[in-house]
Amino acid sequence: MSIQIRIKKGVEQGLIDFLKFLLTNEKVSAVFTLRKTPKEGVYDYGLITDSEMLTDAVPLHPLMPVNAGQELSRFTPMKKPVAAVIKPCELRSFIELVKRAQGSMENFLLISYTCAGCFRFDVSLEDQGNKHLSDYWKAVERGENPEGIRETCTVCEYFVPINGDVTVKLIGEKFNDEAVLIFHTKKAEEMAEGFEGERSEVEQFSDKIGSLTEKRRSEKIKLFDRIGKEMKGLGGMIDVFGRCIKCHGCSRVCPICLCILCDFESSLFDYDVSQIEKELLRKGAMRLPTDTILYQIGRMNHMSFSCVGCGMCTEVCPANISVSAIFLRTGEETAKLFDYVPGRDIEEPVPVTVYKEDELSTLGEE
Amino acid sequence: MKDISNKGALIPVKGGVRKTILEFAKSLLREGVFDGILISMRVPAKDSYAWVLIKDPSFIDKATPLAPIIAVQGAKALKSFTRKGKGSMKIAAVMRPCEIRATVELVKLNQIHLENITLISIDCPGALPMSYYIKNPEDGEKDFNDLFSGKDRTVSTRAVCQICDHFSILPSCDLHFGLTGEEGEGVFLIPNSEKGERILKEMKIKSSETLTDWKNSVKELIEERKKQRAERFQEVKSMVAGFDSMLDTFAKCIGCHNCQSACPICYCRLCYFDSAVSKQDSDFILQKARRRGGISFPVDRILFHVGRMSHMSLSCVSCGVCSDACPVSIPVADVFSYVADQTQGTFEYRSGEDIEEAIPVAQYQLEEVRGVEELIKQAEE
Repeated sequence: MSIQIRIKKGVEQGLIDFLKFLLTNEKVSAVFTLRKTPKEGVYDYGLITDSEMLTDAVPLHPLMPVNAGQELSRFTPMKKPVAAVIKPCELRSFIELVKRAQGSMENFLLISYTCAGCFRFDVSLEDQGNKHLSDYWKAVERGENPEGIRETCTVCEYFVPINGDVTVKLIGEKFNDEAVLIFHTKKAEEMAEGFEGERSEVEQFSDKIGSLTEKRRSEKIKLFDRIGKEMKGLGGMIDVFGRCIKCHGCSRVCPICLCILCDFESSLFDYDVSQIEKELLRKGAMRLPTDTILYQIGRMNHMSFSCVGCGMCTEVCPANISVSAIFLRTGEETAKLFDYVPGRDIEEPVPVTVYKEDELSTLGEE
Repeated sequence: MKDISNKGALIPVKGGVRKTILEFAKSLLREGVFDGILISMRVPAKDSYAWVLIKDPSFIDKATPLAPIIAVQGAKALKSFTRKGKGSMKIAAVMRPCEIRATVELVKLNQIHLENITLISIDCPGALPMSYYIKNPEDGEKDFNDLFSGKDRTVSTRAVCQICDHFSILPSCDLHFGLTGEEGEGVFLIPNSEKGERILKEMKIKSSETLTDWKNSVKELIEERKKQRAERFQEVKSMVAGFDSMLDTFAKCIGCHNCQSACPICYCRLCYFDSAVSKQDSDFILQKARRRGGISFPVDRILFHVGRMSHMSLSCVSCGVCSDACPVSIPVADVFSYVADQTQGTFEYRSGEDIEEAIPVAQYQLEEVRGVEELIKQAEE
């Protein structure tokens, strides 16, 4: 049975107060959150142990410099309790990584919030005077898609956290006056013992959550339709991925791409010069380095099942390819066949890791 | 270091300099002087360029010598097929001078086998920032054409291109196209090695034209660029002076390592900073956080840049692909070029110029640690 705590303060301050409470009462050893850096307009994730340093925390700031799910998994198992404020898609990535034995959720108090999306890097870096930021919060209150968010954020329908310990209500709420925190798990409730605020049964989310979900679903159909047309056939793939420079930044920032050394960077793809020469004789001309499209398809094959559409890949692409929307589309289409939603449930196995005898019986019949 | 030839051939220009170079490339294939030409080509969607190895001369018409952008550093294209050994085909690579310099460094690092490869360079007016070009390729085409033809010299090239003093013939290239700056005057084809001389002989081209004027104009621009380079480096110096400045310069870094993966010199298959060795235990991270009250993620971002710098700056050719690849617009190339000038200067080494000259870290000189011994002695006393 969940409870909610209402704090009569702006939501960010209310949340920071809770984090301070956890830290000063030694309920956690550290807090993982977004924070301001000494450089103006630059934010990073920090692991904070000194409660004084929480003054710089901006846990709800709409930016994802790195996917926090990836970062958290990297230094787990955590041996001491840590509270982490992360976005719903970061939480889902973390769960996917844990399913793949890349991390452990033990000792984490996972706090998330109804997320309206995060800024693209260019928007965030050029946001002089925080104009975009103030518009962002107005849109969140109205339950609309804010300007300047990532392409996949505009079509994200999993923006209400599934699975976290604590949820902070944001979309469609009066968050300038009050902070409402929902405690879903026993662990979370115990941690909140002694924290001041008005306790009550959990009230429903704002209606605006439903309307934003509908809006985003219809936007997604449009976006996926467009991508489907652009990507049609090998010609379409060449048009879309032709400008890929093979930096593989997409795979490095992808929380799901967990391989330390990607196959496509391994010696498997170091061709003997004779192989290239043979290919050249056959084709008359060939692109070098090779396997530009194969890399994309290969990566898609390996991770798109678990793609949460966090958008990191698009952000780091120097060639400005809509990687995230493309991969999310493929991922959702394939995951649908297995009634799978990445990050929905830690108990739900990734489809490729379980084999069912009858699952291939219809192959070829259609 | 060898001298640059004083004689070259003057090739009449028909339909633009680049078209003329393409015709030459085509004749090289037709005459059987080469089995393949590595050259850049606009991708089918027309929004970028890729390296293409061409055997069939009919594909040459679609190529573009000297693309407006450096999407993939040419040395990486060469590495992709000769990393494991030399080929049997005779290949000519038409590249920018900085790509040839990176090639030379990779040869020294045993990543490119150059035996059957001939390096052809072209006077380079610089390259456009990749993001600018991709946003609007047609504007980019126009800008670069104006720049290349000399019609408009104010076109904004990448920051490192604006201060590049290695834009022309290098001791390490075999053949070089020297641009006279004006359309219709012809283009110099300059043999710069035995390989280069042999090609002209096979093509029955005589290099009898004296290059004094062209050389002087190149020299003039080099001097100008050297001045600009020194001025720019005064600014960059403050960006990396001390830890706080480094922290400020790289504050926006998200640790994606695009700079490293785009860099032609960073050839490690698995960067140390991406390896399992650099994964840190949660207790260790918590301990580090406690020492300062908080720790930033991803961890060791500054260490990554300093580490990369110490590994590759002796070979850095200031090609600028790291800046192009940075998703948060950090002037990586400016910083690395500046540091490279310092480290290379210490050993009087110029990256990519002389293929015979060993990379300083690859050779040990007895005297070079004498100073260190002194320091240790002093410390002990």
